[in-house]
Amino acid sequence: MTIRSSPPSPASSRCPLSYHLFMRLLLVEDEHDIQSFLRQALAEAGYQVDVSPDGKTAESLAATHAYDILIVDLGLPDTDGINLILRLRRMGVRAPVLILSARRSVDDRVRGLEQGGDDYLTKPFALAELLARLRNLLKRNAPPVGELTRLHVQDLELDLLRREATRAGQALQLTPQEFVLLEYLCRNAGRVVTRSMILEKVWGMRIQPDTNVVDVHIYRLRGKVDGEGRQPLIRTLRGVGYVLKDR
Amino acid sequence: MHTDRKAVMHSAAWRISAWATLAFTLGTLVVFLFLDRFVANDIQRRSDAWITGEIETLSDVAAHTPKDALYDRVVGEVAELASHEVPNREPNESAANDSVFFLQTGPDGGLRLWVGEGDGQAVLQAIRSQAVLIDRPYDIRVRGFRIPFRVASIAMEGGGRVYLGLSERDQLRVLRKLRYRFFFLWLSLVLLGFAIVFFTSRRTLSHVRGITEAASRIGQSDLKTRVPTTRRNDEIAQLALTLNRMLDRIEITVHQLHTITDSLAHDLRSPLTAIRGKLETSLDAVREAEPADAIASAIDELDRLTDFLNKSLDVAEARADALRLSPVSIDLDELLRAMVDLYEPSMLEGGIHLHLDSCGPVRISGDEGLIHRMVANLFDNELKHLRSGATVTVQLAVDPEPRQPLSPSIPDSLHAACAVLIVRDNGAGFSPEVRSHLFARRVKNPDSTGHGLGLAFVDAVVRAHSGSVTAANRPSGGAEIAVRLPLATA
Repeated sequence: MTIRSSPPSPASSRCPLSYHLFMRLLLVEDEHDIQSFLRQALAEAGYQVDVSPDGKTAESLAATHAYDILIVDLGLPDTDGINLILRLRRMGVRAPVLILSARRSVDDRVRGLEQGGDDYLTKPFALAELLARLRNLLKRNAPPVGELTRLHVQDLELDLLRREATRAGQALQLTPQEFVLLEYLCRNAGRVVTRSMILEKVWGMRIQPDTNVVDVHIYRLRGKVDGEGRQPLIRTLRGVGYVLKDR
Repeated sequence: MHTDRKAVMHSAAWRISAWATLAFTLGTLVVFLFLDRFVANDIQRRSDAWITGEIETLSDVAAHTPKDALYDRVVGEVAELASHEVPNREPNESAANDSVFFLQTGPDGGLRLWVGEGDGQAVLQAIRSQAVLIDRPYDIRVRGFRIPFRVASIAMEGGGRVYLGLSERDQLRVLRKLRYRFFFLWLSLVLLGFAIVFFTSRRTLSHVRGITEAASRIGQSDLKTRVPTTRRNDEIAQLALTLNRMLDRIEITVHQLHTITDSLAHDLRSPLTAIRGKLETSLDAVREAEPADAIASAIDELDRLTDFLNKSLDVAEARADALRLSPVSIDLDELLRAMVDLYEPSMLEGGIHLHLDSCGPVRISGDEGLIHRMVANLFDNELKHLRSGATVTVQLAVDPEPRQPLSPSIPDSLHAACAVLIVRDNGAGFSPEVRSHLFARRVKNPDSTGHGLGLAFVDAVVRAHSGSVTAANRPSGGAEIAVRLPLATA
């Protein structure tokens, strides 16, 4: 039985999953500039956003409203971000937290929270990545979907068990790595994926290469998937990343 | 254990106690020899005094006793009495008189009177064989007796001489007992002295050993520990105190460095985040290609700037041995395979052939982010500066016993097994201008693109992981970079 990997979505590349709409989000961030663009982007993505500039306001907001997800910046003026999260947990807040950190490395305390089901993102980040991580955090709490064995995007079909891809019935000769890359694009069909997201999920590395290694892989894949006469599916969004069109 | 004993033998405690014992041994030996000589002389002097006194008495008796039949008995008895007062005699010895003799020779030199064991012929012979006649006591060796006799003689009126002989047996016995006692005393003094010096100096120096061990443990990851101190006020306690004060200063400095880099990071990253976010949102709003391209380039530049900032901060911290790590177990083989897979298409596009030569899974303990970025850096460098037609070989091996020290600041790593990662190519190699300071920042080959931080970052990461990195031109042409990192301990 095939399951569509993404529901019908609007034309915007940042289309949310259906259960993601109207999720209540608390953004705890003291820098005004970051607050403003994040609030806008998150609202566009379908979240209901409340903003708090410090720990105290965050705690009082969390006490009065039930939030589905939180974003907490570690560099708050009145408290340490990790301690705030721990206090919120003690208060009974069960929602997952995305931690924004200005430090490159993950110290033990952040890793501890990560293991507790939260996630972290280093500043500066790509919006697409922020939104993707938020989605992942929400998915973790959503009821589990059965493990997919096939993926469908338009006329592209991936058999995850046999590791074979076909387009309009014609088999595509992909290397194992190309298959994994295409699978990742398909699972995120209709949404932008950044190069660093691809590097992390497909190659398991958190790096920022100086060279255009990921681009070369995408070009090769595109050569095989979007060949002669076929409608191009893999689209490049300069400055952001790539997207597999699902319409 | 063998190595333990070897270590003890080489220790300063052993050296100190060996020399001290040698000096002590020789000193006491000299003293004992001196005492021995003194006592021997004294004993000799006393017995000579006795012999001389007795022979005078006896010669008086012999001279004044009428030479009749009773002569022998009278003189004999006097001689016998004298023999009972032999000095140094053992109290419980038998009355046998084999240590004293009395001999009188006639004018012809023949035996006139003999008091003592046997018939005196052997003694007479021994006396005769002594060519020189002297008045003071002298030694004779008598056939049949192991020990010499001490003899004094006086000439009699009318010719002939009287001789009184005393075996040196008793003297020698006393001396022998003395020497035995001296020897045992000397031996026990030497051993006791050695033991005392050895264990005392070992105790003192073990404190030094404790300090050395503690100091070597204190690295960039553990600035909080201090070396152990004692309540005493000697040189070693001073050393410990000074070291601890030094560590305090280092900890403060590192903390200050972290404060600076953290606040710098925060102060730069926040505006960068805001700028990037705003660029991304405006990219969405723009429809025309040209402005969209411009905004996209701006985002690319911003990402490059961020990466440069990150690497610079890491290099700065690493140089102060203050780079913070979150170590996990990393399989270098797995990492390299992923890297090769990632970079191969780009390399092929540039006409560069990439080849991996791995010995199998190799685990190290390292900070995931840093190690990944370091390896990516090495691959990036190859991709950026090699021309078409070149070959890059990436080799992964394990060196169980490296000959050169892994890291000069940590002597323990001298013999630690390590993972060896070598990237070699047959390109143009490092140009002469950069060759001497490859690991300095802001250094790059004239014809390469990208910022010149590359190898400085590799050096920083390697240093933070107690490893080493070397870079040189190959004799056959091209460059070779070798990274050594300690293996993960099981």
